[in-house]
Amino acid sequence: MIIALPLSRFVFAGITVLAGRWSKQLLLAAHLLDLGLILALILTGATAGSPVTLGGWGSGIGITLAFDDVSMTFLLLALTLSIAISLYVWSDGHRPHFYVLLHFLIGACYALSATQDLFNAYILFELLTLVSFLLVGYERRPKQIWASLRYMIMSSFGMGLFLLGVAVVYYHTRTLNIDHLMAAVAGQLDASWVRLAAALLVAGIAVKAGVFTFSLWLPDAHSRAVPAVSALLSGLVIKMGVVELFRLGDIFPLDLVYTVLGVTTGLIGALYAIRSMDLKRMLAFSTLSQIGYILIALGAGSPAARLGALDYAVAHGLFKALLFLAIGEIARRVGSSNVHRMLASGIQVPRAARWAILFGLLSIVGLPPFAGFAAKGVIESSLHSGLMHGLLVVISVGTAMSFAKFLPLLRAVCTSCTPRSRTMSYIWLSTGIASFLPLALWGTPATMTIVLGQWPVYVEALLAAALGFGLFRFVQGRKLVLPSRVFRLEEGVLVIVAGFFAVWLLYGLG
Amino acid sequence: MSAPIGIIVAVLLFGIGILGLILRRDLVIKLLALGLINSSSILCLVSLDRRPDVSPPILVPGVEFAIVDPLPQAMVLSAIVINFAILALALVFVMRLVERYHTTDSLRIEHEIERDREEVAP
Repeated sequence: MIIALPLSRFVFAGITVLAGRWSKQLLLAAHLLDLGLILALILTGATAGSPVTLGGWGSGIGITLAFDDVSMTFLLLALTLSIAISLYVWSDGHRPHFYVLLHFLIGACYALSATQDLFNAYILFELLTLVSFLLVGYERRPKQIWASLRYMIMSSFGMGLFLLGVAVVYYHTRTLNIDHLMAAVAGQLDASWVRLAAALLVAGIAVKAGVFTFSLWLPDAHSRAVPAVSALLSGLVIKMGVVELFRLGDIFPLDLVYTVLGVTTGLIGALYAIRSMDLKRMLAFSTLSQIGYILIALGAGSPAARLGALDYAVAHGLFKALLFLAIGEIARRVGSSNVHRMLASGIQVPRAARWAILFGLLSIVGLPPFAGFAAKGVIESSLHSGLMHGLLVVISVGTAMSFAKFLPLLRAVCTSCTPRSRTMSYIWLSTGIASFLPLALWGTPATMTIVLGQWPVYVEALLAAALGFGLFRFVQGRKLVLPSRVFRLEEGVLVIVAGFFAVWLLYGLG
Repeated sequence: MSAPIGIIVAVLLFGIGILGLILRRDLVIKLLALGLINSSSILCLVSLDRRPDVSPPILVPGVEFAIVDPLPQAMVLSAIVINFAILALALVFVMRLVERYHTTDSLRIEHEIERDREEVAP
């Protein structure tokens, strides 16, 4: 039954190929089945039990699946976003192969969340990105194809690094199982091969995980795809890299590496996001900066911070998907995603999209009582270093500044001509955002009551938002030219190589 | 312990691949360089265990002899297939770009795309 969860989606993809006419009904059936299987997993206690190894091999050789807290969190995120995207595209009349790719993407995400085997992760990553390439280039416009091709080359290069890392690890330990590796590596953390392997693996995954200076393909790929695909890529596919960073963090002592990468991506991402007037591109940059929070929390190394990182990964998945969907709908209507053009064209923002933007906005700048606030609260209360805390506040202010340009959209004229299924999709995600805090309170009462009992958390959240919105008016007219050459293919590859050496050096220092 | 010759070759090829990816502007050559990079990781996986005194993992009934660890070889098989799929897809994408812009030069494609910026979404 455990294997059924990742595999059922591939079966559904196969049936959709054969019976394209029924693709929507099949999508519905797939979701019901997934829901049932996840419930069964929770009820039968498989989530608490030990990992399962497939195919009757020993756990060092066979592929091991585990349903621990990390996998279950990302499984549920994948299911939630999958439902939201299905609702969003329900009335769009996509060709059947769109649904086939969707099934493949979600199936790969399920499997990736659960796998405990590095080489299996490599295969699934390649599957996931292969499907993403096709989805980015779905409309076959040259811009999308070019963005997808650059994504392809950079991520394939990253996977080359990852595979080298796998080779080094396997040569020295004779296992690729995460648990076995933890034991094997623990005794020799200073060995030069461990350092090399850690740098290769982390650099390879960072290309997928949306870490700035590694993932320079991301702004173009995420902003040029169709809205539903952007939402999936930013909300879910990036998070699969984060899952693997969680796992690698268990094996190697990567605290310093994660902290430095997190601060870099958080600050630079926010800077680019503030400058970008193209709203979809701005959302993509903001994804880079939000990954910073997760990495900083991971780098803090305590169990509470780890929980915060998990919370933030889910929260970000929900509200970034919502924002991408809503902005995507408006951009389609206007024919441009540039904020000036949107406002100049005297657009009518559909009522549902307006509410969606409001919810997403309040959540991403971290105002109570939405998802962003709860997750940020957990991270902030778990950090003991004053410097890190300060940096987090700076990134929060930067986020608020970059999202200040959404405010005029909320004043635009309302109409109500959104298809009903699309409205349902917004409501589904908004419900997720609004019910995040109660659910977190129910799931982890001890942590959440501590977080909610601290008044500085509220003050900080409100101040960061107010300061950000205010500062944006101040910087709005000023010219600040950020280098855009780095987003070219050649520089992207060069920077990945440089990033590998940086990780290697940082591992030595940490 | 001196590194096996396979590893040295793999690292060299990886380096050549990176240089090709960065320095050459022709997209087809870039893809060749990418293929080189991926093949060198595969070479690395296979040759880690290669020693003169062991045979490839092909069993002959009734004969006992030392074989290399078969697991990396199995892994390599999947990796080769994946890399083939990605290269094939990349070539299709390049083909579509060439149809539109009549060049495989990455810089020129980049400029053309920039010029198309005002292209309106349908």
